[in-house]
Amino acid sequence: MLLDIARGPWLLGSAQPDLVTHRSRFGPVVVPGFGVLVAAADRNVVLGRGGAGFPFATKLRTAASGRALRRHVVVNVSEGEPASSKDAALMVTAPHLVLDGAVMVADALGVRTVHLVVPDEHAFVTEAVTRALAERAEAGEDRRLRWRLHRASTGFVSGESSAVLELIEGRENLPVVSWHPAAVKGLHGQPTLLSNAESFAQLAAVVLAEGRIPGTEAEPGTRLLSITRGNRIAVQEVPHGTRWQAVLTDEELDRPVLIGGYHGQWAPAGALREAAVSVASMQDLGLVLGAGVVIPLPVGACGLTYTAQVTRYLAGESAGRCGPCFNGLPALATAFGDLAAGRVGADVQELADLVRGRGACAHPDGTVRLVSSAWTVFEAEIALHRVGRCSAGESNFSRSA
Amino acid sequence: MSGQRLEVDWPSCQARGLCHELLPEIVALDRWGYPLVHGDVTPELVGAAKAAMKACPRNALRLRA
Repeated sequence: MLLDIARGPWLLGSAQPDLVTHRSRFGPVVVPGFGVLVAAADRNVVLGRGGAGFPFATKLRTAASGRALRRHVVVNVSEGEPASSKDAALMVTAPHLVLDGAVMVADALGVRTVHLVVPDEHAFVTEAVTRALAERAEAGEDRRLRWRLHRASTGFVSGESSAVLELIEGRENLPVVSWHPAAVKGLHGQPTLLSNAESFAQLAAVVLAEGRIPGTEAEPGTRLLSITRGNRIAVQEVPHGTRWQAVLTDEELDRPVLIGGYHGQWAPAGALREAAVSVASMQDLGLVLGAGVVIPLPVGACGLTYTAQVTRYLAGESAGRCGPCFNGLPALATAFGDLAAGRVGADVQELADLVRGRGACAHPDGTVRLVSSAWTVFEAEIALHRVGRCSAGESNFSRSA
Repeated sequence: MSGQRLEVDWPSCQARGLCHELLPEIVALDRWGYPLVHGDVTPELVGAAKAAMKACPRNALRLRA
């Protein structure tokens, strides 16, 4: 995949990624302290950007509460989803904004070590982070802080939060059952604030921006989108409330668009025309922005066949640790492949029910979410395939087998 | 009144099936032999649920309030 990064209005607004440029734009890093930081996250509705959209302020409060010998901060830059490149784009464009956010959180929680989890498969991301850390050390910043770098393995599920904690604790980089959220019991059973890189950048930006925050009143801030176009991913930063018409082309809007990535849902053709890039507007359509992955169905492709291929890929990405996922996803992929090939196969719905909610991580549930959405959105296409036809043309149809 | 919930540690579970033997009231097995928990652990089932937890050779069951 080739990466195109567009200069953005806020997080991606710096001409250069270096520390001097960053400081001239945002000023010196401020550590507002726990109370002010929580209030800023609350007031500016900072939500987790790893996909789940959990309120950052709640996470902060939880990680700070209770008695603990030590607390931890983890910045997750691992980005295991192949269609997502926004964290990579963020780290090569504005690494210091992410690091400033981590400094603020570490200070608020009284933490001296910050863990940074970078994707091993993308050396340029690790290089960008290493360079940024060297710049800060040279400038004499973060004297009271230790940065520790961890390399996440390649794979769809290796960026999942419990897998990331396993990696830091020196075990295999795969998901495990977490009986408690990381903010309650994370690293070494201690409160851990683990969040996606973009969340830390948003937090730093609302603190350092001094009131000049893009977006809407209900949803301040911006959203990093990874838009798949052919073999390229375009990363674009858009203020909340931006119309999809300003983001996607007419041709893309006229086709189904997969929102939220491989664990996401299909927006039917044309559905995004009157909608905006915001949590509320997506909710109206029954969709979730998640980590901001946007995949317009490629020209000439069949949504049903495309979903079957993604489902097959996701089945292969099961860590193989949980029985229902390890056995169920390949069966589900086969059943959906049969459906796309116009064959009467196993019952897709029944298999989906057997997989849903029965794993250590969100992988089985996410895969079911994609399949269920395709089942609804491509209902007419399924009927067409049953009689041996495909709206996208016969070449698509035969490939699905 | 709703009872406690029986939860499965999925990576630990290896489909040995003892939970179904000891607690058929709320544990069925799927086509691959993994537990399908339906319904809460009512007060009368707590004893059997604890027995199932102890008997699990993979220590993959937990009782949660």
